[in-house]
Amino acid sequence: MALRQAQGDTGAQGDTGAQGDAFDFAGLAATLRPQCEALVAQYEHSRSALLPIMHLFQDHQGYVSQDAMRFAAELLDLSPAIVESTVSFYTLFFQKPVGKYMLQVCRGLMCEINGADATMEYFREKLGIGHLETTDDGLFSYEEVECLAACDKAPCMQVNLEFLYNLTPAMIDEMLDLMRKGSYHIAPLAQTAKPERTWKVRQDAQVSTGAKSPGTLNATEPNNAGGVGDASGVIMLDRFVTKDIAFTGRSRERLVRDARAVAEIVEEEGANNHAGH
Amino acid sequence: MAEQATDMVKLTIDGVAVEVPKGTLLVEAAKKIKQEIPVYCYHTKLGPAGLCRVCLVEIEGMPKLQIGCNTPVADGMVVHTRNEKVETGRSMILELLLVNHPLDCPICDKGGECDLQDYAMAYGRGASDVADPKQSKPKGVDLGPTIVLDEERCVVCQRCVRFDDIIAGERQLVVKDRGHNDIIATSTGDPYRHNFTGNVTELCPVGALTSKTYRFKSRPWDLNRTQTSCTQCAVGCQQFADVRYGTLVRTMSVESDDAISDGWLCDRGRYNIGYVAAPERLTQPLYKRDGEFVQIGWDDAFALWANAIKDAQSAGKQVGALGGGRLLNEEAYLLQHVFRALGVKNLDWRTGRQLQASPGGAASYEALENAESIVVVGDIPELAPVLWLRAIKAATRKGARLVRVGACGQAPSFAHTDVATAAEAASAVAPQGRVAILWDGSNLEVGKALAAAFAARETLAYIASEQGNARGAEAMGMLPSDGGSDFTKIVADAAGGAYGVLAIFGANPVRNAPNAQDVRAALDATPFVVVSELFMTETAQAATLVLPAKGAYEKSGTVLDIAGDALPVNASLQAPVGALSDLEMLVGLAQHFDLPLPTSEELGAAVIARAAKPLAVTLGDARYATAHALAPSDARSIWDGGGTCAHDERIVTLRREPAKVGA
Amino acid sequence: MPVTKVLTAGIGEADLRDINVYRSRGGYKQWERAVRELKPADVMEACDKSGLRGRGGAGFPTGRKWSFLPNNGKPRYMVCNCDEAEPGTFKDHMLLEETPHLVLEGILLGAYGIGCTHAYIYIRGEFKRGFAIFQKAIDDARAAGLIGKNILGTGLDIEVTAHRGAGAYICGEETGLLNSLEGKRGEPRLKPPFPAIAGLYGMPTVVNNVETLAYLVPILEKGPEWFASVGTERSKGFKIVSVSGHVQKPGNYEVPIGTTVREIIEIAGGLRPGRKFMAVQPGGQSSACIFEEHLDDPYDYESMAKAGSMLGSGAFTVFDDTTDFVKAALNSVRFYAHESCGQCTPCREGGHWLERVLHRFVEGRGLRSDLAMIGRVSGTITGLNLCALGDSIEPFLKSVVNRFPEQFEARLLKEATPA
Repeated sequence: MALRQAQGDTGAQGDTGAQGDAFDFAGLAATLRPQCEALVAQYEHSRSALLPIMHLFQDHQGYVSQDAMRFAAELLDLSPAIVESTVSFYTLFFQKPVGKYMLQVCRGLMCEINGADATMEYFREKLGIGHLETTDDGLFSYEEVECLAACDKAPCMQVNLEFLYNLTPAMIDEMLDLMRKGSYHIAPLAQTAKPERTWKVRQDAQVSTGAKSPGTLNATEPNNAGGVGDASGVIMLDRFVTKDIAFTGRSRERLVRDARAVAEIVEEEGANNHAGH
Repeated sequence: MAEQATDMVKLTIDGVAVEVPKGTLLVEAAKKIKQEIPVYCYHTKLGPAGLCRVCLVEIEGMPKLQIGCNTPVADGMVVHTRNEKVETGRSMILELLLVNHPLDCPICDKGGECDLQDYAMAYGRGASDVADPKQSKPKGVDLGPTIVLDEERCVVCQRCVRFDDIIAGERQLVVKDRGHNDIIATSTGDPYRHNFTGNVTELCPVGALTSKTYRFKSRPWDLNRTQTSCTQCAVGCQQFADVRYGTLVRTMSVESDDAISDGWLCDRGRYNIGYVAAPERLTQPLYKRDGEFVQIGWDDAFALWANAIKDAQSAGKQVGALGGGRLLNEEAYLLQHVFRALGVKNLDWRTGRQLQASPGGAASYEALENAESIVVVGDIPELAPVLWLRAIKAATRKGARLVRVGACGQAPSFAHTDVATAAEAASAVAPQGRVAILWDGSNLEVGKALAAAFAARETLAYIASEQGNARGAEAMGMLPSDGGSDFTKIVADAAGGAYGVLAIFGANPVRNAPNAQDVRAALDATPFVVVSELFMTETAQAATLVLPAKGAYEKSGTVLDIAGDALPVNASLQAPVGALSDLEMLVGLAQHFDLPLPTSEELGAAVIARAAKPLAVTLGDARYATAHALAPSDARSIWDGGGTCAHDERIVTLRREPAKVGA
Repeated sequence: MPVTKVLTAGIGEADLRDINVYRSRGGYKQWERAVRELKPADVMEACDKSGLRGRGGAGFPTGRKWSFLPNNGKPRYMVCNCDEAEPGTFKDHMLLEETPHLVLEGILLGAYGIGCTHAYIYIRGEFKRGFAIFQKAIDDARAAGLIGKNILGTGLDIEVTAHRGAGAYICGEETGLLNSLEGKRGEPRLKPPFPAIAGLYGMPTVVNNVETLAYLVPILEKGPEWFASVGTERSKGFKIVSVSGHVQKPGNYEVPIGTTVREIIEIAGGLRPGRKFMAVQPGGQSSACIFEEHLDDPYDYESMAKAGSMLGSGAFTVFDDTTDFVKAALNSVRFYAHESCGQCTPCREGGHWLERVLHRFVEGRGLRSDLAMIGRVSGTITGLNLCALGDSIEPFLKSVVNRFPEQFEARLLKEATPA
């Protein structure tokens, strides 16, 4: 964790030149508009063209940007919120920039029983990143995905949506090496903005308690009681782990006992917080 | 009768025979026998969604439990809503809803009126096997000017999302992500903002969506509830005023109010309540002496006022009374009654841009909903928001054709036609059926054009502008009679020094009249101007005597809505000490002249008699022509000081700059 | 060994992606015949008579599915479901990439059979290559006058549009698919109304699997009687079985329905040397495991149902004694939790809850009470969901918890000694 933090920091201090150049979205939109209109013409109802249009922009921009979603909303006469809602449903749309190589390793059951765990571990170790993360150099994004429908050639993966089968550590080494050298046979993705640590718009931010959902302004009266933080489950579990209390349903005695334990912890935390200030 | 019988379906619910119309859903059928089927996602006005799965019932002959919200009744159906199988399923759903729902009821605004609490008590298991941490999601999310969202409390019933789409036609609120990561959100960077956002806090079955104005202010059991009519605009939605120990903390819609509001409130009607406790409320009569206002007592105020009238009349000067569109019917009636008794003929309520009140008659709100075509002229979405909801309903769900003439504020998100003139509108509407005309009542030429264009059609006219009880003022007789002068002429004559006294009740013409400059000059040229107001408005500043008035939540009476129905206004609050209702002021004045006054029974009867009489007017009626007849309406006056919005520090944030109208 | 080559004929031998190669092997003959000689009703009848059942998972008789379309004059839609994402299934992936013209011909026959003028194929987002291959097949077929306006000069118009998804298992559910095809979130719809009454754009719609539609080609070629002569009493014809897991030669094998489970394992090369058979999941992730006692059961819809499982999409996963069934259970439940659309409570909350509990088991922190809870929750939520996804959590989980309780008990929290 500490290591991760440190890497993140260097990343942030790294070259900011890439971010400096603003992407010319208007130019891209003008270029792609005829193709978008052709896609709309394929369907009886224009809204059906939403997914193809988002694919098209992602192919060119590397991710589905806010601009692209606003463009689609306008073209298809939808509200921007509806477009964003739809895009967020699908895992193949990246709402933030990703690496040049999107490494999607299958974690399906059929791959798992054929050694996918080791493969995934190998990737994480080699890349120094975890599930849904991008390396600081912006080259690799790594994701563990659901069954890719190639179970006979397990373990398998996709690189920029091209299949690779029967993965071995040697293959992975060679692949990453060639990618770093820029001579890999699968073309890199378009990259028009510097990726962050993750491209996932995370809603279940277990750690970032101050997280605000997209589409919101500054909260004035955050209310954290019982919420991020409703640690009742954790407390209960820790109780089992450390104090050996058999779980036999929620008896009255146990409720009383738990309540006392919670009070103790709250007191402790309170004391700690106080000391901190 | 025979026809009706075939449309009825007989079934058995929990052993009780029920007969309901074909197509009725089981949740509704169960209400007939007063048997509750719990629901979260289902809502009478939103229809079934089948998401929460809490409305499980067993239907004999079906192997699986069925959802009551999407199952229509069938002949001979035998339904159980209470047996063991149902209860097992239902308690499982409740247990699942509580897996991630925080148990923060003691600090939750919804606690005490929460469906999740109620159903968990009524149908839950009482214990849980959850031994893992709850999922954490964003809390205290500021959705926009009105709403704060707690994602963790959300049970994803999507009522708010469906409201935004189906009822409000806005589609600002959506579900993002998927599965257990589902969150309710707006488009990134966009605040949740339109005229009806507050309704989602009522639809929310849990405490996920809360109003900023009510957050952490009260517990439901501390509230005193009074049903009243909203006086913010001419629609007259029913609402509950909830008072906590003498403070108005919130207003809520009345779900059963099908005839008027359809169960919804607009944000202005819901949230514009802060003004009643605004520190700048006037609480003592003010008399201008040497250019400075000094506080005086009510007895002195009435004496000064009465003497001014006597002096003016003996000096051969004119006396005039203006206003009434913001008063209760009883007050408007007494206003014209007292002044007519004093021989005053110069009476007019038309101090703003609205020139004509709604004729009423067949034009009920339900008729609007069922009209085949709807023609909109003026910024109706801003002037009469809940009326606009009916238009949305008609256009999006009942197949009505919507035609907008000229600039009409924000463009709706659904299919509509924009035309430039009434004549074009006539060819754009549906060829058959009734045409509902929603007009802001300003610029009589527009009214005439509409009347001419739709002369051959069956029309329903709805006139709504910034004065809430314009129709009441008109019906009660706040109009010039027997050669009296109308507003424009009063202003012109007064500017020439012809008037000795002008009394202005609940109006701010110095700000809102199209001839505001002239009004200011007229007031300056008149030696005694009396203004009854809640606040020190521009008009009040030009007055000789300012009388502190009671607000709408502090007095009882009636108002007339656009459709012409008399609606009760019930006091829920004590007025600030020192403020009197306009009725009390007029009584105080009348006593100085020994005028015979009606008893309260007589007053009520007179009001009802006048209210019941349909207004025999047509669109663009010639008798309403005044010098400022051509001025377009301006919805901005709502926010700029025409009403109470300008004095409510919380509601001013809701202001959305309306598109320029009628330019 | 009864391996047959019907749909799989030619795969691996010739480049069937080339329209000329496909045609030289008799491709598009049935389509030409249908357009020139057959009435739509003839195609429908052949489909019905053949006893063909849906190969996507539910196994519903295809002819009957078509017959639900109302005659109300509204436009009808044929939608081919190629959102193959059921873990363990990889047959449509192969058909799409290896023999796209066969799939296209099947779609055209199906569209013609139900009287549809615009057919769609919904291709899983991950199959970017397959999508490109199929798009080319459509373009080539259009150039050959086989689709589009005035097909083969007969005046018939049928358009085919390929639509690519973007990563959501739930879009394999037919109403989720239709929503996704309409450009919406791929959330299953509340039924009724069913797609046959109000499907794509609110019009009567049939959604058929790739394999189902592809079988229309041989059925028309050799006659419905030929197809119906193969298989068991109520499960007719052939099935491509996607064999995966602990076998020596995993892959797609087309077999007559009714081939036994043991035979299928042997066709796929049998178990690895020295390994012991533990279980087979015969119908994809949504199906319960079956065990040794069912090895000689015929692989058909009825027998699999009788064995407490289902034939499903024909995904056939073999587990030997190296399998950690606790991890497998977590994997399965995590999949459903990840792919839940989030609309309905049991699936959204139940899947996620079970995932967290099983995660603890894998870490060796299971509680004894959890074992009862797993059974109670997974069992109760089955049947309460809006669509079939939530109901799919239970079968595999329950079958392995019941069969291998010792594996789960071994992961219970160790009795800690007081500090």
